[in-house]
Amino acid sequence: MTLGSHLTPLARSHIAQADVVFAGLSDGIVEMWLQRMHPDVRSLQSYYQEGKSRLTTYRQWVDLMMAEVRAGKRVCGVFYGHPGIFAWSPHKAIEAARAEGYAAHMEPGISAEDCLYADLGIDPGRYGCQHYEASQLLLFERRIDPTCYLVLWQVGLVGDRSLARFQTGSAYRQVLVELLSEHYPLDHEVIIYRAATLPIQQPGIRRVALRELPHIELPAEETVVLPPAEKLKPNLAIQARLAALDELEKAGMPA
Amino acid sequence: MTDTMDWLEAIGQDATLRHASADALNSTLEAADASEALMAAVASGDSAWLSQEFGHRDMFVNQASQTFPEGDEPERKDDDEEDQQGIPKPQSVPSPKG
Repeated sequence: MTLGSHLTPLARSHIAQADVVFAGLSDGIVEMWLQRMHPDVRSLQSYYQEGKSRLTTYRQWVDLMMAEVRAGKRVCGVFYGHPGIFAWSPHKAIEAARAEGYAAHMEPGISAEDCLYADLGIDPGRYGCQHYEASQLLLFERRIDPTCYLVLWQVGLVGDRSLARFQTGSAYRQVLVELLSEHYPLDHEVIIYRAATLPIQQPGIRRVALRELPHIELPAEETVVLPPAEKLKPNLAIQARLAALDELEKAGMPA
Repeated sequence: MTDTMDWLEAIGQDATLRHASADALNSTLEAADASEALMAAVASGDSAWLSQEFGHRDMFVNQASQTFPEGDEPERKDDDEEDQQGIPKPQSVPSPKG
């Protein structure tokens, strides 16, 4: 999301009407902007720690929010982008509040994914689009479809099984490249994307060959997009079935 | 228009300013006596100049992990470190699905 541009009027109203606001933001200036909207904004940044599992951090965030809910406060959690996309705590906090009988809901926001489609001129409906967290793609047997877009999130820390690191090295990304090379040529162009956070920034868009991915600087906030490498293959059997149904319709025998 | 934060919000909300060239935007900012740091950030395309006014904080951005999907997450441990940080223990902890 971009400061000034992407906060919806309703989200802003929730912030203003809350008793306490928790902030999970990606930019210190955006956090300061939020502090102008409410006198009690509590940053969640200090709970991160190198060597500490991020799951512990995310659970602490839920606990912090729930403690205020149980104290009878109206609580608003503000998370950058869309609070429900690649964000564990907002979903869990809402689940926890509802389980204890409190009213809770999520207000959608403009995510990096939304900005990506606009800035890169990609329509996910054109060829289809797969999204994976990069580590999950490595750790589990997933089906990559090279006829559609493939969007990989958090590539900067791909392969971190400890959940306690903020970055992994080129050797980890090399494993990812080798997996991808089963479906894409090594000279396939990949796009490294970063949405603008401040309104004086431009989106970051770099294009490199797949083989170069392990050797470039890649912060955690950057996203890797692989355009399709193969053409869509017509499903002739299904097309024949549909044609037969069309013939039945034409003959006055609705299928 | 009083300060840089107001300017950032205004630029983000104005279609002309948001998509103006750096020169055009800086002409507007200069006429309104905006800060040197903001104008340097606009001119150079490097928002790091704003740290002169706002300071600099390293911000961590990850808020999820699908490395261990629901049901495969490690067991919760309320270790000493958490206690030292003064995080109140909940009466009931949302348990992972699965």
